[in-house]
Amino acid sequence: MMEWLIAEVFAKYNYWVSIVLMLIGFYAMIAKDNLMKKIIGLNIFQTAIILFFISLGDVSIGGWGGGVTEPIVKGALPWETGGIVEHGVVYANPLPHVLMLTAIVVGAATTAVALALVIRIHEAYGTIEESEIIEKEQERELP
Amino acid sequence: MKAITASALLFVILLGALFIYVAEDIPAFGDPYSPANRWVNLSIGIDARNHVLESLNEGVVPDALVSEIKNRGLPLPEGYKVERGGEEEGWKGWDILIPKGEMFYPNLEKYYFIMNEGNRLWVYRYSVPVRWEERCEEEMDLPNMVTAGLADYRGYDTLGETTVIFTAGVSVILLLRRRGKL
Amino acid sequence: MRVRGKSKEHGQEHKYKHKRDVIVTTIARLMIPFIQMYALYVMVGTEGAGGGFQGGVVFAASFVLFVTAFGITKGRGRFPESWNAALSSLGLYFYAGIGLLCIILSLFGAQYLNYGALPLWEIIGRPETRGLMITFVVEVGIAITVMAVFTSIFFDLAWKGEEDKEDNKEEGGE
Repeated sequence: MMEWLIAEVFAKYNYWVSIVLMLIGFYAMIAKDNLMKKIIGLNIFQTAIILFFISLGDVSIGGWGGGVTEPIVKGALPWETGGIVEHGVVYANPLPHVLMLTAIVVGAATTAVALALVIRIHEAYGTIEESEIIEKEQERELP
Repeated sequence: MKAITASALLFVILLGALFIYVAEDIPAFGDPYSPANRWVNLSIGIDARNHVLESLNEGVVPDALVSEIKNRGLPLPEGYKVERGGEEEGWKGWDILIPKGEMFYPNLEKYYFIMNEGNRLWVYRYSVPVRWEERCEEEMDLPNMVTAGLADYRGYDTLGETTVIFTAGVSVILLLRRRGKL
Repeated sequence: MRVRGKSKEHGQEHKYKHKRDVIVTTIARLMIPFIQMYALYVMVGTEGAGGGFQGGVVFAASFVLFVTAFGITKGRGRFPESWNAALSSLGLYFYAGIGLLCIILSLFGAQYLNYGALPLWEIIGRPETRGLMITFVVEVGIAITVMAVFTSIFFDLAWKGEEDKEDNKEEGGE
């Protein structure tokens, strides 16, 4: 029992955290009435995906998740180790970092346009609760 | 509770169960021989006889391997070089460097890795981030690999992304301004 | 009636009132130059962590602090509409222009964004500095675009909020 717990839950904790955050954001997008809460749910969902992707870029040699530095070359600056590039330093994979920078910025742009749309909806209907908007639409269509 | 809240909760629980069922098969992260960072197994293997090892030590890839590689459609042009590599980390193998025809950039690049394991020779292929980590300092004089990757190796993505930002700015202006007023 | 050569910035058309607080204005006056200097440091992402997007967003945050402390009418006076159109296109021109320059300067030999084709090492002397120089130009261009767009989005949303508040107050008063 203990080995199953350690192997399945504690060794893969990044997947569990990311799944929990993703489901919280997804629930907020579907089940809440207020339009602002839906936008916040969208943001939480995007953050969970970004965390998951970056945690995939971890590399460890000889051990359980230790000893990896960020992908900036150590020893290249003259005040660190006298300007000689060190050997034997393990760097994390830089490819997920590059792709996720783009994803963060696209998320921010999407949130900005969504907020502008919510302002327009408030002008047209007078409210931002989704159930009231549906009622007003149904009242309008009755002949 | 309202109907949509209860059904959303049920849906989310089912989706969570599906994710957890899938997550059991994913390996623990921080895998030491993680293929995305080091190499990709091409599953070409021939027996390691003495004359094959001798020809590799001299710097010529044996004919059996060359024909197998070319049958899969992978490149092995003329002018390649063979070096011993990977001994710092404890693997015994040979690196094959092939010349890339890129203009204005230095030319020889680590492409294949041949390892002697259990009396057979296996062929692996180096993946792209390895080239970033090794060549970043000498090709571009920048210590920061992520910025170098964004601006130079992946420059097209960044160009499209700046266009996305510009479009978002323009669309907010179009949505929120009316004639005469703001 | 429009005077030739000078048009009314719509920041001065309608003045929204803003109550000033001594503590907030004093601290904002101290902090804004340092925030902008830090943004310039982050923008040059070559020797440490940082890059174009991050530096542009930190620069836009200084504008948000200005509006919070001093009111939106004064903020609109500092970032008028003509600057917005100019700056947000300028960054994109830098980026696409460098790509075209690589094609032209190597006499149609290299591809679109191949930075090695620029004859920089004749001017500077070391052939590796091509990466450093080009990353400077590209990163600064991205930062200018991001800064202009995020500031303009913030001003649009905030201006609309003030307008709605004024309309509601007028209706409530009548």
